[in-house]
Amino acid sequence: MVIAMALYQYAWAVLLAPLLSFVVIVFGTRVWDLLSRPHIAATTTHAEEHAVEAHGSEGEDYGEHGEDDDDDPKVPRLSAGAIASGYVAIGIMALACIYSWIMLLTSVFNRQSLPAGGIDVLHYDWFVQPAGVASYSIIFHLDTLALAMMVVVTTVSLLVYFYSQGYMEDSAGYARFFAYLTLFTFSMLVIVFAENFLVIFVGWELVGLSSYLLIGFWINKRAKPAELRPSPSSAALQAFVANRVGDVGFIIGIMILFANTGTFSFAQLSTAVTHIDKNLLTVAMILVFCGAIGKSAQVPLHVWLPSAMEGPTPVSALIHAATMVAAGVYMIARTFPLYVAAGPAAFGTVAWVGAITALFAATVALVQSDFKRVLAYSTISQLGYMFVGLGVAGSEYGPGLGMFHLFTHAFFKALLFLGAGSVLHSLHHATHREVQDMRLMGGLGPKMPITAITWLIATLSISGFPFFAGFFSKDTIINLTAERGDWGLYIITLGTAGLTAFYMLRAYILAFGGKGGSFGGLWGGPYRGEGQPHESPITITLPLILLAIPSVIAGYWFGFFDYIQPGAPVLNLSTILSDAKTWIGVVVALAGLAVAYTLYCRVDAAKLHAFVQNNALLRATHNFLYHAYYINELYDLLIRYVVLGISHIEQAFDTYVVDGIVNGVARLALLLGRDGRYVETGRVQSYMIGFFGGVAVLAVLVFALVTFGVGK
Amino acid sequence: MGLTLNHFLILGAILFCIGLYGAISKRNAIAVLMGIEIMLNAVNVTMIGFSFFNHVKPYSTYLTGQIFAIFIITVAAAEAAVALAMIIAIYRKRETVDVGEIDIMKW
Amino acid sequence: MDLATLIFWIIAVILVGSALMVVGLRNIVHSAVALILLFAMAAGIYVLLDAEFIAIVQILIYAGAVTILILFALMLTRITGQQSRTNPTNKQWWIALVICTLLGVSIIYAATTSPHAVATVGSDSGQLPAGINNVVRIGQLLYSPTQYSFVLPFEIASLVLLVAIIGAIVIGRED
Repeated sequence: MVIAMALYQYAWAVLLAPLLSFVVIVFGTRVWDLLSRPHIAATTTHAEEHAVEAHGSEGEDYGEHGEDDDDDPKVPRLSAGAIASGYVAIGIMALACIYSWIMLLTSVFNRQSLPAGGIDVLHYDWFVQPAGVASYSIIFHLDTLALAMMVVVTTVSLLVYFYSQGYMEDSAGYARFFAYLTLFTFSMLVIVFAENFLVIFVGWELVGLSSYLLIGFWINKRAKPAELRPSPSSAALQAFVANRVGDVGFIIGIMILFANTGTFSFAQLSTAVTHIDKNLLTVAMILVFCGAIGKSAQVPLHVWLPSAMEGPTPVSALIHAATMVAAGVYMIARTFPLYVAAGPAAFGTVAWVGAITALFAATVALVQSDFKRVLAYSTISQLGYMFVGLGVAGSEYGPGLGMFHLFTHAFFKALLFLGAGSVLHSLHHATHREVQDMRLMGGLGPKMPITAITWLIATLSISGFPFFAGFFSKDTIINLTAERGDWGLYIITLGTAGLTAFYMLRAYILAFGGKGGSFGGLWGGPYRGEGQPHESPITITLPLILLAIPSVIAGYWFGFFDYIQPGAPVLNLSTILSDAKTWIGVVVALAGLAVAYTLYCRVDAAKLHAFVQNNALLRATHNFLYHAYYINELYDLLIRYVVLGISHIEQAFDTYVVDGIVNGVARLALLLGRDGRYVETGRVQSYMIGFFGGVAVLAVLVFALVTFGVGK
Repeated sequence: MGLTLNHFLILGAILFCIGLYGAISKRNAIAVLMGIEIMLNAVNVTMIGFSFFNHVKPYSTYLTGQIFAIFIITVAAAEAAVALAMIIAIYRKRETVDVGEIDIMKW
Repeated sequence: MDLATLIFWIIAVILVGSALMVVGLRNIVHSAVALILLFAMAAGIYVLLDAEFIAIVQILIYAGAVTILILFALMLTRITGQQSRTNPTNKQWWIALVICTLLGVSIIYAATTSPHAVATVGSDSGQLPAGINNVVRIGQLLYSPTQYSFVLPFEIASLVLLVAIIGAIVIGRED
């Protein structure tokens, strides 16, 4: 028991490990990398260093890659310092990951080893005052919820680091990439370990920063308007700004809570909020949820996530599938007691926003042709499910319901993205161009077997195919909406499940299968692109295999709800299978799969395309969905005319009123001088008039005052 | 009614104001000087009036007002001499005695 | 009304009238002549106030020397071509009018409503000791070395006159 307690006391090592590797990389191995490049002396200026990094080493051509049209610079060979950066990151993260798994397994099998409320692993009193006045402390806290999330973060991070070694092998800025990755992992762990709103907000903004840096990693890459793709730097900015918009609500919510209870700490808040007005608390919690809307890309702040696909695929896997976007879900789970104490409108908002987002994103994903964009919208949709799960759980199930889907989703979505990265990597090698359009893929199954099989496993998992991980997590949510009597939510989530199955299998078939392949078109078929793609190296495929395992078995942790919140129901396989609603869900998922199979394996692609284009209604619907309901264009109009309109008004105010006053004062002084000099006429008589006029006025004044008795 | 001090004071005030009007509003420099002479005479009237109505011994024997008036007359004569010399000098230089045209010190 | 008051009123009216003529006449030589009348009437006032010496001095110096000076100056500063309006007023005469009226009203108001250190009613002024007239008394007051006198201001006044003479000569020189 004592050993077990001590085990958790050192959990801050997991928090600080990625920070350590960040420091080592930035100040150690990356400097080594920069110094070891040829033609670079230590005395180059900052600008020159960047120039070389952007254009690769001088005098060396791009090796066997030929001309690439995607502008991100390549290096033919990584330097030792760069490779060392990768090893530092992976090594330290491996240790942290092993430690976190040990802690998780210990706490699962020995429930008493971790106290019920968790323990503080790092405590720094920043600004402490006597009780009753606000105190600000930095506290990192470990409990079962944090453990579950921590394991997800460290595991997926480790696999992504490992994967990046292969994926980013010829990209310039390799060491910088690992530096940013470790910074991100540290930021995410700050959120995971946070014990009060201050710390979680710090982590919130740090992940926003890391996301910005990582999305915009390829700084020279241009936009491709024809494919609706922005440049990575624009996408990074969009991500940051959209998150910021959500943060406005977040901050206001935190401020309302703080103003009424005087504390930021989650533990103290959960008891203190019962004393404040329920309506005010509901409003505050809905505002806090706004932060999650921004961070987790829910409608209406979802627009940044598809653009964020401009970043490298490992980034998409780590940040925009498994961890950062899940930070919103985690935050709601953390503040779950506050939501319970608030009125039903708070949970209702969470659930309905999630449901609408899930449906919206699923409909858009149906028609996307960009491989990563399908996955992006799929992520948005699944995040919607998580929020539905949080919204309908109530205090009976606790936050475990939404967190369970987060847990399983992290694994299979990371797998989907890494698999997509594998495909893109090999197509890039084959065609020497960046190919992301699914219409140029097809029949890749036999050419990339490992990738295809793991992708299929993940597809089945996300579709809710029985006995895969997604089945357990997603169907529990859908069934609970029916049990609670929310028929609207039930219909929406059920329908979205069908759509999810459809578009995921569609993506799979378009990439790896096609009409005319084996297994009825699921494996192989005509390849619509160029070149000879082949399987990716082991550094890329190993993480795929490793992720395929939890994509299947992670759903079998039936005690998850009870683990997160002691006393919650434990899942039971026989209960699940005997419930009629489960089978309805299964039927819907299978129907989705079947429709996708029929349309893409049995029908000729060209005939399908022609059919849709000839029908006016179908064509209009296709365009509408393809442009994501034209929401991006709407926001563009909104910003250009409303936001910039207001700023033009304010600029006019600044120019004419503020500057007018300032310049007016100066002009007044000028005027006084220029026109006041006419008093000096040079004629004695006018001076005398002034003199005696003053005397006369004074005399009259004095006599008036004296006569009327003022001031004897 | 018998003569009182107020008669002379009011007379002096009226004369002073007429003289002031002349000094301020006349264009010819010598007319300005004449206005000033009127003012000085007004003051003299007032002084001698005060001297006459003073019954406080021993100051009433000092005839202070009259002595003051003598000196005023003296200084006024000297001043008139100097002022007229200046006016003639200005006339020689500028061919004018209009005070409105002597404004070198203007803006 | 007794004789003194009657004489006062006559002299006062002529005095004020001549002052108005000095200020108001268009020909400046006419103004200078009105000035002579003014000086003479002022001398009359002084006689009324038992200050005969001052009256004589006024006639001698003011009506004699100063007016001659002024007339000479007028003669020397004639502007050719200007026949009738040699004594114009400037553009701000109405401001001057207002100011002077205000000033006059306030002085009169102050003088009549404030308490005076001197009596307001005249009586035979036991100001002169018996057997001495005004001239003798003024001589005593100006020159006496032993009794109370104004001999120092007298000496200084002579200095002032000296300076004025030299100044007038210097300024009026032709060079």
